[in-house]
Amino acid sequence: MIGTPLVRVRGLTKTYGDRVAVDALDLDVRAGEIVGLLGANGAGKTTTVECILGLRRPDSGSVDVLGLDPAVDGDRVRRLVGSQQQESALPDRMRVGEAIALFRGPRAATVDGLLEAFGLADQRRTPFSALSGGQRQRLFLVLAVLNRPRMVVLDELTQGLDPAARRDVWDAIMVLRDAGTTVLLVTHYMDEAEALCDRVVVMRDGRVVDTGTPEQLVLRHAGWATVRFGTPVHESGAAGPHVDRLRRLPGVRSVVDLDGTVEVRGDRGSVAYVCADLVHGTVPHDLTVVMPDLEAAVLALLTSKTPPQRPAPVLITNGALR
Amino acid sequence: MSTSTLPMTDPTAAEVAPRPLLGSVLALVGSELRLVLREPLVLAFVFAFPIVTVLVIAGSFSSDDDGFGGVDPSHWYVASYLAVVVAAIGLVMVPVHLAAYRERGVLRRFAAAGFPRWSFLLAQLAVGLVLTLVASAVLLAVAAPVYGLPAVHDPVRVAAALLLGALAFTTIGLLIGSLVPNARAAQGLGLLAFFPSFLLGGGGPPPAVMSDGMRRVSDLLPLTHVTDAIREPWLGTASGLGHLLVVAVLLGVALLVCARSVRL
Repeated sequence: MIGTPLVRVRGLTKTYGDRVAVDALDLDVRAGEIVGLLGANGAGKTTTVECILGLRRPDSGSVDVLGLDPAVDGDRVRRLVGSQQQESALPDRMRVGEAIALFRGPRAATVDGLLEAFGLADQRRTPFSALSGGQRQRLFLVLAVLNRPRMVVLDELTQGLDPAARRDVWDAIMVLRDAGTTVLLVTHYMDEAEALCDRVVVMRDGRVVDTGTPEQLVLRHAGWATVRFGTPVHESGAAGPHVDRLRRLPGVRSVVDLDGTVEVRGDRGSVAYVCADLVHGTVPHDLTVVMPDLEAAVLALLTSKTPPQRPAPVLITNGALR
Repeated sequence: MSTSTLPMTDPTAAEVAPRPLLGSVLALVGSELRLVLREPLVLAFVFAFPIVTVLVIAGSFSSDDDGFGGVDPSHWYVASYLAVVVAAIGLVMVPVHLAAYRERGVLRRFAAAGFPRWSFLLAQLAVGLVLTLVASAVLLAVAAPVYGLPAVHDPVRVAAALLLGALAFTTIGLLIGSLVPNARAAQGLGLLAFFPSFLLGGGGPPPAVMSDGMRRVSDLLPLTHVTDAIREPWLGTASGLGHLLVVAVLLGVALLVCARSVRL
């Protein structure tokens, strides 16, 4: 299913006055995948999306959406690509059913099924202003997929929602994923990208600094997993041999014993070996495990003094980084 | 869900057919009119304000007052107040509405959904015209039993003046609403334009009692020309043709500027 490129962006550049919003950006979105566009505010994510939708004209570079140039055929592109725009709304007094009637085209999907799938079946007569934050975003999802687009673009869909509402919206996006819909998801919530995206693209200062699956980015940039525990008092005399044994475990990079608190750092696979080793001795009651995650990876990418070049793919052999 | 059945090949002609302009405009007109009916403040300003003020001012002069060129003052004001409806819609309702839509991202949503670029503005022109006609009819229906309706000497010119005036002022309203940063600014600017126009352009004292300076200002106001273009052929005091031409030119210029500089 995943493979055919729906969107191909090459060398996209867009400036606003003296500020370069997007700088020679390359991006592919293939059919059937959920791609996350990540980056700090002002990284150029929304501008990129607007160029893909034909809402902004690039200064240079090429954008191809299903064989169409959005700068020339914007109306046609927007028939093929459903979207939810950042900071967009509906009129306060417009009801859910009226919004759907207004936005539906001749190729629209069955409305009842959509409202049911996105949990809005009972809200047809509810005005937009009376919807909760989560319901509004789910309505935007319904409108984005209403006319059976080839792809949907979701820009900061869950911004400002409480955790429960965010989970509701995630569930709705998973409905899309299960249906095989291609999604370009702009977000700065890393847990959202980690939960939903097949692939993420990290932008900084208008450029792509790395791309890959969330797992690949974690391996490349998130640093080491850390296991921390206190050494039992009666074993303190045996700390030396204990530390030596941990150092020899697969994937372990360093072991430090600081006044009775042992800190083991290594790759994700090393955590299992360390915990298994601990089970053979006295199990510590203050065990702490900090796993590297996408947030740490993206933070590293966004805060490093020099934006890193894309590294070579990292291979994992027998649980260890090579 | 139906999206799973879509072929991942080149898009079909049906998929990429642009949304038809006329269908889009009609859909937006229907939607916007429905929404206006749910806006009590808008309805109050567009419908109630002209009615209340005309009932007050038309009854404030004796019927033999010589400031109205021999016309019954109440008839003079009833014929003038259709222009107040035009101004209330064009200078206050439309700019605030458009600026609020732009500020809140409603226009972005329409654009992203593939509505043709000018469909929203054309729909607003149609909505402005429909509201002008309905509000004018309501105003006359309320004024008729109180003051009576003056006979219409030249209905074609009166209708033409009302039509062109409504389109011109709605276009000006769209221009204001598209250029100001937000709805609050649109409201401020709109009211700033509305009240002098209202007081000096037909809804306030008659020109005969104005000072020379005030009369000169009044002569320069676009709304004065709309008022005169409606009232003169209605009451038969003059042809109103010169004022109608001014209103037509005003509409042409407003449309041209709107088409060139409007940002959605």
